[in-house]
Amino acid sequence: MTFPAAIDINWLQLSPLMTLIATASIALLYNLGDRDTRGGAGITVTGLILAGVFNYALMRESEGGPITAFGGRLLADQLTTSLWFVIIVGAVLAILVAWNYIHNSEVGQPEYYPLLLLSASGAMVMVAAGDLITLLLGLEIMSLAVYVLSAFRLGHGAPARQSQEAGMKYFLLGAFASAVMIYGIALLYGATGSFHYTGVHAAVTAPDFGLPVLAAVGGLLLLGGLAFKAAIFPLQQWAPDVYTGAPTPVTTFMSVVVKTAAFAALLRVGAGFLPEVSPAVIEVFSWLVGATMVIGNFGALAQQGIKRMLAYSSVAHAGYLGLAVLAASTDGFRAASWYLMAYTLMTAGAFAVLALVSRRDDTGDTLSHFAGLGRRQPGLALAMAIFMLSLAGIPPLAGFAGKLFVFSAAIGAGYVVLAVVGIVTSIVGVYYYFRVIKVMYFDQSSSEALPGGIDVAGRLAIALAAVGTVVLGVFPAIW
Amino acid sequence: MTLAVILVPLIAALLLPLLGGLGRIVALGAAIATFVLALRLPSAEAVNLPWLPDLGVTFSLSGHGAATVLVAAAALAMIGAVWYGGFRVTHRTSVFLALLLAMQAFLNGIFLAKDLVIFYVFWEATLIPSLIMLGVWGGSAKRAAVMKYLVYAMGGSLLMLVGIIALKVTSGATGFHFDELVAAGASLDLNTQLLIFAAFAVAFAVKLPLVPVHSWLIDFHEQNHPSGVADVAGTLYKVGAFGFFAWAIPLLPAAAEAAAPLLLALAAITALYGGVVAVAQTDLKRLLAYASLSHMGIIGVGVFSLQPEGMTGGMLLLAAQMVSTSALFILAGMLGERRGTFELSAYGGLARSAPFLASIMLFSIFASIGVPGLGNFPGEFLSLLGAWLHTPGWAIVATLTIIAAGIYGVNLYQRMFQGREQLPAPDLSFREAITLLPFVAGILWFGIAPAAAVSNIELQTRAGTEQAITQPTEPLAGTMEDSQ
Repeated sequence: MTFPAAIDINWLQLSPLMTLIATASIALLYNLGDRDTRGGAGITVTGLILAGVFNYALMRESEGGPITAFGGRLLADQLTTSLWFVIIVGAVLAILVAWNYIHNSEVGQPEYYPLLLLSASGAMVMVAAGDLITLLLGLEIMSLAVYVLSAFRLGHGAPARQSQEAGMKYFLLGAFASAVMIYGIALLYGATGSFHYTGVHAAVTAPDFGLPVLAAVGGLLLLGGLAFKAAIFPLQQWAPDVYTGAPTPVTTFMSVVVKTAAFAALLRVGAGFLPEVSPAVIEVFSWLVGATMVIGNFGALAQQGIKRMLAYSSVAHAGYLGLAVLAASTDGFRAASWYLMAYTLMTAGAFAVLALVSRRDDTGDTLSHFAGLGRRQPGLALAMAIFMLSLAGIPPLAGFAGKLFVFSAAIGAGYVVLAVVGIVTSIVGVYYYFRVIKVMYFDQSSSEALPGGIDVAGRLAIALAAVGTVVLGVFPAIW
Repeated sequence: MTLAVILVPLIAALLLPLLGGLGRIVALGAAIATFVLALRLPSAEAVNLPWLPDLGVTFSLSGHGAATVLVAAAALAMIGAVWYGGFRVTHRTSVFLALLLAMQAFLNGIFLAKDLVIFYVFWEATLIPSLIMLGVWGGSAKRAAVMKYLVYAMGGSLLMLVGIIALKVTSGATGFHFDELVAAGASLDLNTQLLIFAAFAVAFAVKLPLVPVHSWLIDFHEQNHPSGVADVAGTLYKVGAFGFFAWAIPLLPAAAEAAAPLLLALAAITALYGGVVAVAQTDLKRLLAYASLSHMGIIGVGVFSLQPEGMTGGMLLLAAQMVSTSALFILAGMLGERRGTFELSAYGGLARSAPFLASIMLFSIFASIGVPGLGNFPGEFLSLLGAWLHTPGWAIVATLTIIAAGIYGVNLYQRMFQGREQLPAPDLSFREAITLLPFVAGILWFGIAPAAAVSNIELQTRAGTEQAITQPTEPLAGTMEDSQ
């Protein structure tokens, strides 16, 4: 094992990450003087946009070939830059959703935004990680902040208890999943003597490799830890509870950014060394992906609350993304990065509408609460209809091209049966997504007015997501 | 030009909700402009733009072949529908007209698409306006009708999506363009072809529709807005036969040949079943829905005969019935406005007080049941001829439909317009008469001068049947020209 002599630092590659961390620190300091949450929101959005600019520069720079830093522990290839964009977009949308929500509710602690940014920086590290220790670091940075955010609703009412319960549940299960993953990493290191994805790959494919069982068990445990974050069956149980209990802006963030990071890691290990460590691990994973699509879609079908329905729907989409992971060594990277952008826009958009329509304490998200929204709030209803149709995969919206990408990748990699399972379960999806549209447009109005007046930031998030969903769907070549 | 046929109605649809009262004029203008553009399609350039280069999808359109005739027929029906809807639909008129035009734009996309993914995109996109029209303007049991329609349509088409992807991947084609797929698809072995063909066939059978996946159609028509305008959109949307004709059969010729006997039988049964059940209906809209189902069966036997005569005839009948069935639904809307119900028993003897209405109704019924000299006859004749050349037995079954059609057609007219007059009804108003003009013109056009339409459709038929019957592996001169 050889390491470069000097510490290998690429400042351009680090710039988006460092921008986020610096912005989080500035926002924290700012909040010492000014407890108004909206100042912090403004600072963090600015920081994210700046990180986006740096990321664009990095993308142009890396077009010539992948850039690495720290001896290949941090990679800047096409997957990194494109998923960093996805994370930045997801975080911006989540902050816009939170802007007035946090200000007007008992969640109102200004530390919310710096935490969110730190979590996003952890997600970005996971995306770029080129070795298992970096991956673990990113995962822990991301997760710790999200545990706190999930439990962010203070007070004694039922919504606050639910939020605290969600945070606690997520923390305990997440810590357990991390432990499993660390154990897996340890076993992989023990078997191969390397933390590097390329090092592990080289060791297990070497002709004299003597510890295949140890490596396979390590690979399986590593996969388990990541599958927990990605909400792949049978480790998806926490998702509906935590998504429902957490304040809606936090759910927005979790469902898009945390998922993006988890799938990036799955893609990297899936393409990097997992099939070589043990084909059986991939075989197991393919069964779990199929089960995830079934459980997610049928789970969503049974829900009355829209937040819980969206939580199960995100499990279903984890299944579709799993198809891309299975094709990681062929077309999976491109398919997954496209799908994740589409998924981020439509899911964040749907949660944003939910945050505006339900009450400030997140109660009142039942289907009947949306009745007649088409007449009461035509703009919001139209946007929600766009997100639902896109999630259902109806062209010409982004969700369709995303499905086309992942199903093509899966069929191309030989997983025809799984693709058929995916399609059949998405017929179920059409039903429950369309139910929302039906209620909004075809049912009689419930007279309840929207809480808290006009939420400009929330509406901006919805408009951005809706326009993005349509434009991406009509002109898919731009992403 | 080719793109304009889609863009003109689509842009009008997007502007319409913003225009208020002016919207009706703009909508009508767009419908007429689309028709004029449609007439110039045969000389139009094909469109080829990159859409999703990663996956080999190009935005390819071509107005040659059957598309020429279908787009024109749909545009003709749409002119009448937009005009009538402009004053007959009073609740949120401009949104309704916008949906109608969006429907037309996407339908034209279905007919013109030369890339299979683009075809699928338009195929699915059409679902949205038709669902909204049914859901917002529909009758009392619309919720059940909407969900039934949605599940049938999506269930079929999502399977087709698997078929589309699998076709490209298994055949090794580099893209989804018709020319690439047709060369690659024919080389697949029969079992693979059959599996992929089945995925297409389910989607197309639902939209054809064929028995036993037809039941959404009846609820769909019964529950749609009583004006009949939304039914026109629904009539135009029965594009399953076109899917078989333009895609499934030429792309998977061996599978098509193997499946043709079964499909032909189903189509013949559909034709007869629709006709016989129509005789027993007491509700005008349900009767028309079953009659239209029966026509679709005849189109089916034509297409599944895989004979040039039958396939051309099927597409000709598809175009002609767009006009004649639409006319009947609009007339039903006019009658329903006068009586407030579609129950046949509420009518009777109307010919005395409303002679013009009666005569146009009789004219449209005759066209619909295939009286020579009027719209449906040439297509019906060619379809049945094709079926006869393939399997005489099923051709006879399908031909029995003509007897049923005579019974339900004449019965319908007798019960509504002859006999004792229960209540006098006002005759056609001036605007109603204008509504019916394009339909009458279309019926006469398809009846008297079908030659131009036939020669246009034949361009594409030849490509399809040569592929299916004579030379399964040879690339096609005809379709190659289209893409230039």
